[in-house]
Amino acid sequence: MSDDDRIHYLAGEPASALDPAEQAGLDNLRALLADPSVWAEPGPYLENKVTAAVARAAADPRSEPDGPVPARAARRRRGRRPWVVAALGGLATAAAIAIAVPVIAGGGSHPVQYQAALAGTALAPAATAQVTLTQTQSGWQISLHGHGLPRLDNGFYYEAWLKNPAGILVPVGTFNQPQNVTLWAGVPPTQFPTVTITRQRADGNPASSGQRVLVGVAHPAH
Amino acid sequence: MPVTGVGLAQLTGQGVGSGVVVDPEALAGFAAGDPDAVRAVYGAYGRLVYGVAYKLLGDRGLAEEATQQAFVQAWRASGSYDPAREMGSWLATIARRAAIDVYRREARRSHGSLDDADPADPALVTLPPSADRVYDVWEVRRAIGTLDPDDAELVRMQHFDGLTQAQIAERLGIPLGTVKSRSFRVHRRLAGMLGHLRDNPDRTNPAGPS
Repeated sequence: MSDDDRIHYLAGEPASALDPAEQAGLDNLRALLADPSVWAEPGPYLENKVTAAVARAAADPRSEPDGPVPARAARRRRGRRPWVVAALGGLATAAAIAIAVPVIAGGGSHPVQYQAALAGTALAPAATAQVTLTQTQSGWQISLHGHGLPRLDNGFYYEAWLKNPAGILVPVGTFNQPQNVTLWAGVPPTQFPTVTITRQRADGNPASSGQRVLVGVAHPAH
Repeated sequence: MPVTGVGLAQLTGQGVGSGVVVDPEALAGFAAGDPDAVRAVYGAYGRLVYGVAYKLLGDRGLAEEATQQAFVQAWRASGSYDPAREMGSWLATIARRAAIDVYRREARRSHGSLDDADPADPALVTLPPSADRVYDVWEVRRAIGTLDPDDAELVRMQHFDGLTQAQIAERLGIPLGTVKSRSFRVHRRLAGMLGHLRDNPDRTNPAGPS
């Protein structure tokens, strides 16, 4: 049986001298092409429903994307969760943190930290950066150490942003080169988990240029 | 700031485990629940996920519900997703699990309280009859998705609607010879993309469990 014969048979035309095994395979393929699930289409509203469902899950302070966590770090993370819920319930005072964290950590004083590994975008594919967000009484101190981005001067600079699932951007500082940068945020990474770095022009426009060079998501530090 | 869209690599190879790679920016946005990124991933894979769910559930409403659950579960698992891995196989597995969950929930609902269900009821412990074929549905849908819309419609009319080539020619108002040549060309292309399904009808996800 030639390839043309097989294709003709697949296309629904009669074929002669079919090998039973080959015919069975081609019949299987024809059955798949006739399967209603191959042609069933979702309603146009499903995209909005899916987007809303993910946004609700992302906005829920009790949920976060799962990652590969060592068992010991997993127990620490679970112990930390009651603090996260309490903070988002409006009890995030420095005193509450000072009490909760030492208890959870067995008496030590470990600051609450989040980390993000930023990856370069199409504008800067070779760029990378590590970001650490540390909670203090003054807000969230952000340390950024990056590579692969040129220094910007003469009317151009980099700006860092935190973004929430609804797309709201909060600026957290500007800098010229991504080595040993310290920034500050007045919003928590639990609610604004996306970290982005954009290239900006010093033209008085405070809005993001949209020219993202680095992007990543903050997760609790282990 | 809108995500500019899912970065697409050239489709290569065959199977659920090959094809589209999502760029890091869209993936990071998806992990953060960024609506634009979620839309981008849905745009690339939503219909495929829906097809898997429909295969298992056979009901439009349940399939849409399972699709929503699948994307939420994908978001929850996004922290462990390996960007070097093709997203389709990862999503296909999640979609299958979400649809099975809906299937079993519906099976329990038909009995009322779980306490009323016969512990030996196969619906509680087994998979839907079509659970093994969902990856084939994914691949066929993906292959059809690469066709021109007119060619996809020809395949649909021929296989799903069950029309003869003469009936197709009459409906489309084109010569029968044109239908024959187009049909041959399209099926030759489909045979190239889906030949592995013909040879092994009982295989499971070639990318393996995730």
